Amino acid sequence: MSPGAAVALVVDDSAVNRKVLSRHLASLDIAAREAANGREALELLGADGAGFDIVLLDIEMPELDGYETLAAIKGDAALRHLPVIMISSVEELDSVVRCIEMGATDYLPKPFNPAILEARVRASLAGKHLHDLEVESAARQAELLKTIERQKDELSRFLSPQVAALVSSPEGEQLLAGHRRIATSVFCDLRDFTPFSEAADPEEVLGVLREYHAAMGGLIVEHGGTLEHFAGDGMMVFFNDPVPQEDHVERAVRMAIAMRDRFGDLAAAWAKRGFRLGFGVGIATGYATLGRIGFEGRYDYGMTGMVVITAARLSTAAAPGQILLSPRSHAAVEDVVEVEEIGELQLKGFSHPIAVVNVRGMRERLRTAVEAG
Amino acid sequence: MSLDGAPVLDQAVLEELRISTGDDEAFMRELVETYVEEGQASLAVLLAAAAARDAAAIVRPAHTLKSTSASLGAMRLSGICREIETAGREARTDTLPEDVELARATWEATLAAFAEAGLR
Repeated sequence: MSPGAAVALVVDDSAVNRKVLSRHLASLDIAAREAANGREALELLGADGAGFDIVLLDIEMPELDGYETLAAIKGDAALRHLPVIMISSVEELDSVVRCIEMGATDYLPKPFNPAILEARVRASLAGKHLHDLEVESAARQAELLKTIERQKDELSRFLSPQVAALVSSPEGEQLLAGHRRIATSVFCDLRDFTPFSEAADPEEVLGVLREYHAAMGGLIVEHGGTLEHFAGDGMMVFFNDPVPQEDHVERAVRMAIAMRDRFGDLAAAWAKRGFRLGFGVGIATGYATLGRIGFEGRYDYGMTGMVVITAARLSTAAAPGQILLSPRSHAAVEDVVEVEEIGELQLKGFSHPIAVVNVRGMRERLRTAVEAG
Repeated sequence: MSLDGAPVLDQAVLEELRISTGDDEAFMRELVETYVEEGQASLAVLLAAAAARDAAAIVRPAHTLKSTSASLGAMRLSGICREIETAGREARTDTLPEDVELARATWEATLAAFAEAGLR
Protein backbone atom coordinates (compact mmCIF):
# COMPACT_ATOMS: atom_id res chain seq x y z
CA MET A 1 0.00 0.00 0.00
CA SER A 2 1.37 3.43 -0.89
CA PRO A 3 1.26 6.11 1.81
CA GLY A 4 -1.18 8.05 -0.39
CA ALA A 5 -3.85 5.39 -0.03
CA ALA A 6 -3.34 4.94 3.72
CA VAL A 7 -6.12 4.71 6.30
CA ALA A 8 -5.73 6.04 9.84
CA LEU A 9 -7.73 5.21 12.93
CA VAL A 10 -8.24 8.34 15.00
CA VAL A 11 -9.01 7.51 18.63
CA ASP A 12 -10.00 10.46 20.83
CA ASP A 13 -12.94 11.03 23.17
CA SER A 14 -13.29 14.59 21.91
CA ALA A 15 -15.28 14.94 18.70
CA VAL A 16 -13.59 18.31 18.13
CA ASN A 17 -10.14 16.71 18.21
CA ARG A 18 -11.28 13.84 15.97
CA LYS A 19 -12.74 16.29 13.42
CA VAL A 20 -9.60 18.45 13.35
CA LEU A 21 -7.29 15.43 13.03
CA SER A 22 -9.39 13.76 10.32
CA ARG A 23 -9.42 17.01 8.41
CA HIS A 24 -5.63 17.35 8.62
CA LEU A 25 -5.19 13.75 7.55
CA ALA A 26 -7.55 14.23 4.60
CA SER A 27 -5.31 17.04 3.37
CA LEU A 28 -2.45 14.47 3.39
CA ASP A 29 -4.58 12.05 1.33
CA ILE A 30 -4.98 9.82 4.35
CA ALA A 31 -8.48 8.55 5.01
CA ALA A 32 -9.55 8.58 8.66
CA ARG A 33 -11.95 6.44 10.64
CA GLU A 34 -12.88 7.56 14.13
CA ALA A 35 -13.31 5.93 17.52
CA ALA A 36 -14.36 7.74 20.72
CA ASN A 37 -12.46 5.40 23.06
CA GLY A 38 -10.15 2.39 23.19
CA ARG A 39 -12.93 -0.16 23.20
CA GLU A 40 -14.42 1.24 19.98
CA ALA A 41 -10.93 1.38 18.48
CA LEU A 42 -10.20 -2.29 19.20
CA GLU A 43 -13.60 -3.22 17.75
CA LEU A 44 -12.80 -1.37 14.53
CA LEU A 45 -9.32 -2.90 14.31
CA GLY A 46 -10.81 -6.38 14.53
CA ALA A 47 -8.65 -9.47 14.69
CA ASP A 48 -5.81 -8.28 12.49
CA GLY A 49 -6.17 -4.54 11.93
CA ALA A 50 -6.88 -5.15 8.24
CA GLY A 51 -7.70 -1.93 6.43
CA PHE A 52 -5.70 0.29 8.80
CA ASP A 53 -2.17 1.58 8.43
CA ILE A 54 -1.74 3.74 11.48
CA VAL A 55 -3.43 4.54 14.80
CA LEU A 56 -3.56 8.03 16.34
CA LEU A 57 -4.31 7.42 20.00
CA ASP A 58 -5.37 9.85 22.73
CA ILE A 59 -4.25 9.03 26.28
CA GLU A 60 -7.10 10.31 28.49
CA MET A 61 -10.28 8.51 27.45
CA PRO A 62 -13.27 6.90 29.16
CA GLU A 63 -13.94 3.13 29.06
CA LEU A 64 -10.53 2.05 27.73
CA ASP A 65 -7.79 4.67 27.93
CA GLY A 66 -4.73 5.15 25.73
CA TYR A 67 -2.41 3.00 27.86
CA GLU A 68 -4.80 0.05 27.94
CA THR A 69 -5.50 0.35 24.22
CA LEU A 70 -1.80 0.59 23.38
CA ALA A 71 -1.07 -2.44 25.57
CA ALA A 72 -3.83 -4.40 23.80
CA ILE A 73 -2.48 -3.49 20.34
CA LYS A 74 1.17 -4.18 21.15
CA GLY A 75 0.32 -7.36 23.05
CA ASP A 76 -1.48 -8.85 20.06
CA ALA A 77 0.78 -10.50 17.48
CA ALA A 78 -1.73 -9.74 14.71
CA LEU A 79 -1.97 -6.00 15.55
CA ARG A 80 1.57 -5.31 16.79
CA HIS A 81 2.81 -4.19 13.36
CA LEU A 82 0.47 -1.15 13.32
CA PRO A 83 2.29 2.09 14.13
CA VAL A 84 0.65 3.97 17.01
CA ILE A 85 1.16 7.70 17.44
CA MET A 86 0.10 9.05 20.84
CA ILE A 87 -1.89 12.27 20.94
CA SER A 88 -0.87 14.26 23.98
CA SER A 89 -0.98 17.69 25.51
CA VAL A 90 2.23 19.35 26.60
CA GLU A 91 1.64 18.42 30.25
CA GLU A 92 1.46 14.75 29.35
CA LEU A 93 5.07 14.35 28.17
CA ASP A 94 5.87 11.94 31.03
CA SER A 95 2.99 9.77 29.85
CA VAL A 96 4.34 9.90 26.30
CA VAL A 97 7.69 8.49 27.44
CA ARG A 98 5.83 5.63 29.09
CA CYS A 99 3.83 5.02 25.89
CA ILE A 100 6.94 4.95 23.73
CA GLU A 101 8.47 2.43 26.11
CA MET A 102 5.29 0.39 25.65
CA GLY A 103 5.76 0.35 21.87
CA ALA A 104 4.20 3.60 20.59
CA THR A 105 6.03 4.86 17.51
CA ASP A 106 5.84 8.58 18.21
CA TYR A 107 3.66 11.31 19.71
CA LEU A 108 1.72 14.29 18.49
CA PRO A 109 1.35 17.34 20.71
CA LYS A 110 -2.02 19.10 21.07
CA PRO A 111 -3.04 21.53 19.69
CA PHE A 112 -2.13 19.91 16.43
CA ASN A 113 0.55 21.45 14.26
CA PRO A 114 -0.08 20.31 10.68
CA ALA A 115 3.63 20.24 9.76
CA ILE A 116 4.54 18.05 12.76
CA LEU A 117 1.50 15.88 12.13
CA GLU A 118 2.54 15.32 8.51
CA ALA A 119 6.18 14.55 9.35
CA ARG A 120 5.35 12.04 12.10
CA VAL A 121 2.50 10.34 10.27
CA ARG A 122 4.55 10.00 7.07
CA ALA A 123 7.55 8.57 8.93
CA SER A 124 5.35 6.02 10.68
CA LEU A 125 3.57 5.09 7.47
CA ALA A 126 6.90 4.57 5.73
CA GLY A 127 7.81 2.10 8.47
CA LYS A 128 4.47 0.37 8.11
CA HIS A 129 4.86 0.27 4.32
CA LEU A 130 8.25 -1.40 4.69
CA HIS A 131 6.76 -3.91 7.10
CA ASP A 132 3.91 -4.61 4.65
CA LEU A 133 6.41 -5.17 1.84
CA GLU A 134 8.36 -7.59 4.00
CA VAL A 135 5.22 -9.50 4.91
CA GLU A 136 4.08 -9.53 1.29
CA SER A 137 7.47 -10.70 0.08
CA ALA A 138 7.60 -13.44 2.72
CA ALA A 139 4.10 -14.55 1.74
CA ARG A 140 5.02 -14.58 -1.94
CA GLN A 141 8.14 -16.59 -1.18
CA ALA A 142 6.17 -19.08 0.89
CA GLU A 143 3.64 -19.38 -1.95
CA LEU A 144 6.45 -19.98 -4.42
CA LEU A 145 8.02 -22.65 -2.23
CA LYS A 146 4.62 -24.30 -1.86
CA THR A 147 4.19 -24.29 -5.64
CA ILE A 148 7.63 -25.80 -6.14
CA GLU A 149 6.91 -28.47 -3.53
CA ARG A 150 3.57 -29.20 -5.15
CA GLN A 151 5.16 -29.45 -8.59
CA LYS A 152 7.85 -31.75 -7.24
CA ASP A 153 5.17 -33.87 -5.64
CA GLU A 154 3.15 -33.88 -8.85
CA LEU A 155 6.30 -34.70 -10.83
CA SER A 156 7.23 -37.57 -8.55
CA ARG A 157 3.99 -39.32 -9.45
CA PHE A 158 5.09 -39.47 -13.06
CA LEU A 159 8.82 -39.78 -12.62
CA SER A 160 10.87 -41.90 -10.31
CA PRO A 161 11.64 -40.02 -7.06
CA GLN A 162 15.34 -39.76 -7.98
CA VAL A 163 14.59 -38.12 -11.31
CA ALA A 164 12.03 -35.78 -9.77
CA ALA A 165 14.61 -34.72 -7.18
CA LEU A 166 17.24 -34.35 -9.87
CA VAL A 167 15.08 -32.08 -12.01
CA SER A 168 14.73 -29.62 -9.15
CA SER A 169 18.35 -29.82 -7.94
CA PRO A 170 21.04 -27.23 -8.82
CA GLU A 171 23.19 -29.78 -10.70
CA GLY A 172 20.10 -31.10 -12.49
CA GLU A 173 20.67 -29.32 -15.79
CA GLN A 174 24.20 -30.69 -16.06
CA LEU A 175 23.12 -34.27 -15.36
CA LEU A 176 20.14 -33.99 -17.68
CA ALA A 177 22.39 -32.81 -20.50
CA GLY A 178 23.91 -36.32 -20.69
CA HIS A 179 26.87 -38.08 -19.15
CA ARG A 180 28.64 -41.43 -19.22
CA ARG A 181 28.94 -43.60 -16.20
CA ILE A 182 29.10 -47.24 -15.16
CA ALA A 183 25.58 -48.32 -14.27
CA THR A 184 23.55 -51.45 -13.75
CA SER A 185 20.48 -52.05 -15.86
CA VAL A 186 17.67 -54.34 -14.79
CA PHE A 187 14.95 -55.59 -17.15
CA CYS A 188 12.08 -57.67 -15.92
CA ASP A 189 8.82 -58.85 -17.36
CA LEU A 190 6.11 -61.44 -17.02
CA ARG A 191 6.32 -64.78 -18.78
CA ASP A 192 3.18 -65.82 -20.69
CA PHE A 193 1.69 -62.36 -20.31
CA THR A 194 0.69 -62.10 -23.98
CA PRO A 195 -1.44 -65.29 -24.02
CA PHE A 196 -2.91 -64.25 -20.64
CA SER A 197 -3.88 -60.82 -21.89
CA GLU A 198 -5.51 -62.34 -24.96
CA ALA A 199 -7.53 -64.81 -22.93
CA ALA A 200 -8.51 -62.73 -19.89
CA ASP A 201 -10.97 -59.84 -19.66
CA PRO A 202 -9.34 -56.41 -20.06
CA GLU A 203 -10.43 -55.52 -16.50
CA GLU A 204 -8.62 -58.59 -15.19
CA VAL A 205 -5.52 -57.78 -17.19
CA LEU A 206 -5.46 -54.25 -15.83
CA GLY A 207 -6.14 -55.53 -12.30
CA VAL A 208 -3.18 -57.94 -12.50
CA LEU A 209 -0.92 -55.22 -13.90
CA ARG A 210 -1.98 -52.81 -11.16
CA GLU A 211 -1.16 -55.31 -8.40
CA TYR A 212 2.12 -56.17 -10.10
CA HIS A 213 3.17 -52.54 -10.58
CA ALA A 214 2.21 -51.61 -7.02
CA ALA A 215 4.24 -54.48 -5.58
CA MET A 216 7.28 -53.96 -7.81
CA GLY A 217 7.17 -50.17 -7.64
CA GLY A 218 7.53 -50.31 -3.87
CA LEU A 219 10.57 -52.59 -4.15
CA ILE A 220 12.23 -50.31 -6.74
CA VAL A 221 11.94 -47.33 -4.40
CA GLU A 222 13.04 -49.41 -1.41
CA HIS A 223 16.25 -50.46 -3.16
CA GLY A 224 17.00 -47.02 -4.58
CA GLY A 225 16.49 -47.97 -8.21
CA THR A 226 15.64 -45.42 -10.90
CA LEU A 227 12.62 -46.56 -12.86
CA GLU A 228 13.14 -45.65 -16.48
CA HIS A 229 9.86 -46.94 -17.78
CA PHE A 230 6.96 -49.32 -17.55
CA ALA A 231 5.76 -50.92 -20.74
CA GLY A 232 2.82 -53.16 -19.97
CA ASP A 233 4.33 -56.05 -18.06
CA GLY A 234 7.92 -54.93 -18.66
CA MET A 235 10.00 -52.59 -16.53
CA MET A 236 13.43 -51.14 -16.87
CA VAL A 237 15.21 -49.99 -13.73
CA PHE A 238 18.75 -48.76 -13.41
CA PHE A 239 21.14 -48.16 -10.54
CA ASN A 240 24.07 -45.81 -9.83
CA ASP A 241 22.39 -42.88 -11.56
CA PRO A 242 21.42 -40.08 -11.05
CA VAL A 243 22.36 -40.84 -7.45
CA PRO A 244 25.76 -42.58 -7.30
CA GLN A 245 25.59 -45.93 -5.47
CA GLU A 246 28.84 -47.78 -4.71
CA ASP A 247 26.93 -51.08 -4.33
CA HIS A 248 24.75 -50.62 -7.41
CA VAL A 249 25.10 -54.19 -8.67
CA GLU A 250 24.29 -55.69 -5.28
CA ARG A 251 21.29 -53.36 -4.93
CA ALA A 252 20.06 -54.51 -8.34
CA VAL A 253 20.43 -58.17 -7.43
CA ARG A 254 18.79 -57.72 -4.03
CA MET A 255 15.88 -55.90 -5.67
CA ALA A 256 15.50 -58.67 -8.27
CA ILE A 257 15.43 -61.33 -5.53
CA ALA A 258 12.86 -59.35 -3.55
CA MET A 259 10.79 -58.96 -6.72
CA ARG A 260 10.98 -62.68 -7.43
CA ASP A 261 9.86 -63.47 -3.85
CA ARG A 262 7.06 -60.95 -4.00
CA PHE A 263 6.03 -62.22 -7.39
CA GLY A 264 5.76 -65.74 -5.87
CA ASP A 265 3.03 -64.47 -3.51
CA LEU A 266 1.20 -62.65 -6.28
CA ALA A 267 1.44 -65.63 -8.65
CA ALA A 268 0.02 -67.98 -6.01
CA ALA A 269 -3.03 -65.71 -5.63
CA TRP A 270 -3.41 -65.34 -9.40
CA ALA A 271 -3.10 -69.11 -9.89
CA LYS A 272 -6.20 -69.57 -7.75
CA ARG A 273 -8.04 -67.34 -10.23
CA GLY A 274 -6.66 -69.47 -13.07
CA PHE A 275 -3.94 -67.13 -14.29
CA ARG A 276 -0.55 -68.72 -14.86
CA LEU A 277 2.20 -66.17 -15.11
CA GLY A 278 5.97 -66.31 -14.67
CA PHE A 279 8.58 -63.67 -13.89
CA GLY A 280 12.06 -63.28 -15.37
CA VAL A 281 14.87 -60.78 -14.87
CA GLY A 282 18.02 -59.81 -16.75
CA ILE A 283 20.78 -57.72 -15.15
CA ALA A 284 23.85 -56.21 -16.85
CA THR A 285 26.52 -53.75 -15.73
CA GLY A 286 28.72 -51.49 -17.83
CA TYR A 287 29.27 -48.01 -19.24
CA ALA A 288 26.16 -46.29 -20.43
CA THR A 289 25.02 -42.86 -21.53
CA LEU A 290 22.44 -41.31 -19.23
CA GLY A 291 20.42 -38.14 -19.45
CA ARG A 292 17.53 -36.50 -21.18
CA ILE A 293 16.10 -38.50 -24.06
CA GLY A 294 13.13 -37.44 -26.14
CA PHE A 295 11.85 -34.31 -27.79
CA GLU A 296 10.43 -30.93 -26.78
CA GLY A 297 7.29 -31.57 -24.79
CA ARG A 298 8.04 -35.14 -23.85
CA TYR A 299 11.37 -36.04 -22.32
CA ASP A 300 12.41 -39.07 -20.32
CA TYR A 301 15.43 -39.50 -18.18
CA GLY A 302 16.95 -42.51 -19.83
CA MET A 303 19.89 -44.86 -20.18
CA THR A 304 21.29 -46.14 -23.46
CA GLY A 305 24.17 -48.39 -24.45
CA MET A 306 25.12 -52.03 -24.93
CA VAL A 307 24.54 -52.65 -21.24
CA VAL A 308 20.83 -51.87 -21.67
CA ILE A 309 20.51 -54.19 -24.65
CA THR A 310 22.35 -56.94 -22.77
CA ALA A 311 19.98 -56.69 -19.80
CA ALA A 312 16.96 -56.75 -22.13
CA ARG A 313 18.22 -59.83 -23.98
CA LEU A 314 19.00 -61.60 -20.69
CA SER A 315 15.50 -60.87 -19.47
CA THR A 316 14.08 -62.39 -22.64
CA ALA A 317 16.31 -65.43 -22.23
CA ALA A 318 15.35 -65.95 -18.59
CA ALA A 319 13.04 -68.85 -17.78
CA PRO A 320 10.23 -68.18 -15.25
CA GLY A 321 11.82 -67.49 -11.86
CA GLN A 322 15.30 -66.83 -13.24
CA ILE A 323 17.47 -63.78 -12.58
CA LEU A 324 20.23 -63.81 -15.19
CA LEU A 325 23.44 -61.83 -14.66
CA SER A 326 25.94 -60.63 -17.26
CA PRO A 327 29.60 -61.57 -16.54
CA ARG A 328 30.43 -58.09 -15.27
CA SER A 329 27.42 -57.99 -12.92
CA HIS A 330 28.32 -61.44 -11.65
CA ALA A 331 31.93 -60.46 -10.99
CA ALA A 332 30.81 -57.52 -8.85
CA VAL A 333 28.66 -59.59 -6.50
CA GLU A 334 30.19 -63.08 -6.60
CA ASP A 335 31.23 -62.87 -2.93
CA VAL A 336 27.71 -62.21 -1.70
CA VAL A 337 25.48 -63.96 -4.19
CA GLU A 338 24.93 -67.68 -4.69
CA VAL A 339 24.53 -68.53 -8.38
CA GLU A 340 24.17 -71.46 -10.72
CA GLU A 341 26.02 -71.62 -14.05
CA ILE A 342 23.79 -71.33 -17.08
CA GLY A 343 26.69 -71.50 -19.54
CA GLU A 344 27.41 -69.49 -22.62
CA LEU A 345 24.38 -67.90 -24.22
CA GLN A 346 24.29 -66.57 -27.75
CA LEU A 347 22.10 -63.46 -27.35
CA LYS A 348 20.32 -62.02 -30.37
CA GLY A 349 22.43 -59.41 -32.15
CA PHE A 350 25.65 -60.23 -30.23
CA SER A 351 28.68 -61.52 -32.14
CA HIS A 352 30.00 -63.67 -29.25
CA PRO A 353 28.22 -65.78 -26.71
CA ILE A 354 28.47 -64.59 -23.10
CA ALA A 355 28.77 -66.54 -19.85
CA VAL A 356 25.57 -66.19 -17.89
CA VAL A 357 24.62 -67.17 -14.32
CA ASN A 358 21.27 -67.42 -12.57
CA VAL A 359 20.91 -65.98 -9.08
CA ARG A 360 19.77 -68.46 -6.44
CA GLY A 361 19.86 -65.98 -3.60
CA MET A 362 21.97 -63.87 -1.30
CA ARG A 363 24.63 -65.97 0.48
CA GLU A 364 23.71 -64.83 4.01
CA ARG A 365 20.03 -65.58 3.49
CA LEU A 366 20.70 -69.01 2.04
CA ARG A 367 23.02 -69.85 4.94
CA THR A 368 20.40 -68.73 7.46
CA ALA A 369 17.81 -70.86 5.67
CA VAL A 370 20.10 -73.94 5.73
CA GLU A 371 20.96 -73.44 9.42
CA ALA A 372 17.29 -73.06 10.25
CA GLY A 373 16.88 -76.48 8.65
CA MET B 1 -6.57 32.35 39.73
CA SER B 2 -5.50 35.10 37.44
CA LEU B 3 -5.88 34.38 33.76
CA ASP B 4 -7.02 37.73 32.55
CA GLY B 5 -3.86 37.89 30.43
CA ALA B 6 -5.01 35.09 28.12
CA PRO B 7 -7.43 36.14 25.39
CA VAL B 8 -10.95 34.70 25.47
CA LEU B 9 -10.57 33.89 21.79
CA ASP B 10 -7.10 34.00 20.27
CA GLN B 11 -7.75 35.07 16.69
CA ALA B 12 -4.27 33.94 15.60
CA VAL B 13 -4.91 30.34 16.75
CA LEU B 14 -8.35 30.37 15.15
CA GLU B 15 -6.90 31.72 11.91
CA GLU B 16 -4.15 29.11 11.85
CA LEU B 17 -6.74 26.37 12.36
CA ARG B 18 -8.90 27.83 9.61
CA ILE B 19 -6.00 27.88 7.11
CA SER B 20 -4.61 24.46 8.05
CA THR B 21 -8.02 22.84 7.62
CA GLY B 22 -8.49 24.20 4.14
CA ASP B 23 -10.06 27.63 4.78
CA ASP B 24 -13.52 26.12 4.81
CA GLU B 25 -16.14 28.27 6.55
CA ALA B 26 -18.67 25.43 6.74
CA PHE B 27 -16.11 23.18 8.39
CA MET B 28 -15.22 25.86 10.93
CA ARG B 29 -18.87 26.40 11.83
CA GLU B 30 -19.41 22.64 12.15
CA LEU B 31 -16.33 22.42 14.37
CA VAL B 32 -17.53 25.22 16.66
CA GLU B 33 -20.96 23.59 16.88
CA THR B 34 -19.35 20.30 17.94
CA TYR B 35 -17.21 22.21 20.42
CA VAL B 36 -20.27 23.86 21.94
CA GLU B 37 -22.13 20.56 22.31
CA GLU B 38 -19.13 18.83 23.86
CA GLY B 39 -18.30 21.85 26.01
CA GLN B 40 -21.80 22.09 27.43
CA ALA B 41 -21.67 18.43 28.40
CA SER B 42 -18.24 18.84 30.01
CA LEU B 43 -19.33 21.96 31.84
CA ALA B 44 -22.41 20.22 33.24
CA VAL B 45 -20.22 17.44 34.65
CA LEU B 46 -17.78 20.03 36.04
CA LEU B 47 -20.57 21.93 37.83
CA ALA B 48 -22.02 18.74 39.33
CA ALA B 49 -18.59 17.48 40.43
CA ALA B 50 -17.69 20.83 41.99
CA ALA B 51 -20.98 20.93 43.89
CA ALA B 52 -20.24 17.44 45.19
CA ARG B 53 -16.58 18.36 45.88
CA ASP B 54 -15.66 15.25 43.85
CA ALA B 55 -12.07 15.89 42.72
CA ALA B 56 -11.73 12.63 40.77
CA ALA B 57 -14.84 13.30 38.70
CA ILE B 58 -13.66 16.67 37.43
CA VAL B 59 -10.39 15.48 35.88
CA ARG B 60 -11.74 14.10 32.59
CA PRO B 61 -14.23 16.88 31.68
CA ALA B 62 -11.64 19.52 32.63
CA HIS B 63 -9.02 17.74 30.53
CA THR B 64 -11.30 17.51 27.47
CA LEU B 65 -12.48 21.09 27.69
CA LYS B 66 -8.89 22.28 28.18
CA SER B 67 -7.70 20.48 25.07
CA THR B 68 -10.58 21.35 22.71
CA SER B 69 -10.63 24.97 23.86
CA ALA B 70 -6.92 25.27 23.08
CA SER B 71 -7.50 23.77 19.62
CA LEU B 72 -10.08 26.46 18.79
CA GLY B 73 -8.20 29.34 20.36
CA ALA B 74 -10.35 29.64 23.50
CA MET B 75 -7.15 30.17 25.49
CA ARG B 76 -8.58 31.70 28.66
CA LEU B 77 -11.06 28.83 29.18
CA SER B 78 -8.34 26.32 28.32
CA GLY B 79 -6.09 27.84 31.01
CA ILE B 80 -8.83 27.76 33.66
CA CYS B 81 -9.61 24.15 32.79
CA ARG B 82 -5.92 23.25 33.11
CA GLU B 83 -5.93 24.66 36.66
CA ILE B 84 -9.08 22.70 37.48
CA GLU B 85 -7.66 19.50 36.00
CA THR B 86 -4.47 19.90 38.07
CA ALA B 87 -6.45 20.58 41.24
CA GLY B 88 -8.55 17.50 40.53
CA ARG B 89 -5.48 15.31 40.02
CA GLU B 90 -4.02 16.64 43.27
CA ALA B 91 -7.37 16.07 45.02
CA ARG B 92 -7.66 19.74 46.02
CA THR B 93 -11.30 20.70 46.37
CA ASP B 94 -11.07 23.98 48.36
CA THR B 95 -11.25 26.36 45.36
CA LEU B 96 -13.25 24.07 43.07
CA PRO B 97 -16.63 25.87 43.27
CA GLU B 98 -15.24 29.30 42.42
CA ASP B 99 -12.88 27.89 39.75
CA VAL B 100 -15.71 26.05 38.04
CA GLU B 101 -17.90 29.15 38.35
CA LEU B 102 -15.12 31.10 36.62
CA ALA B 103 -15.02 28.42 33.91
CA ARG B 104 -18.78 28.76 33.45
CA ALA B 105 -18.59 32.52 33.07
CA THR B 106 -15.63 32.25 30.67
CA TRP B 107 -17.59 29.64 28.71
CA GLU B 108 -20.36 32.21 28.18
CA ALA B 109 -17.79 34.80 27.12
CA THR B 110 -16.20 32.29 24.72
CA LEU B 111 -19.58 31.52 23.10
CA ALA B 112 -20.15 35.24 22.67
CA ALA B 113 -16.71 35.62 21.08
CA PHE B 114 -17.42 32.79 18.61
CA ALA B 115 -20.75 34.49 17.75
CA GLU B 116 -18.91 37.77 17.23
CA ALA B 117 -16.46 35.95 14.94
CA GLY B 118 -19.46 34.82 12.89
CA LEU B 119 -19.00 31.18 13.74
CA ARG B 120 -22.25 30.63 15.63
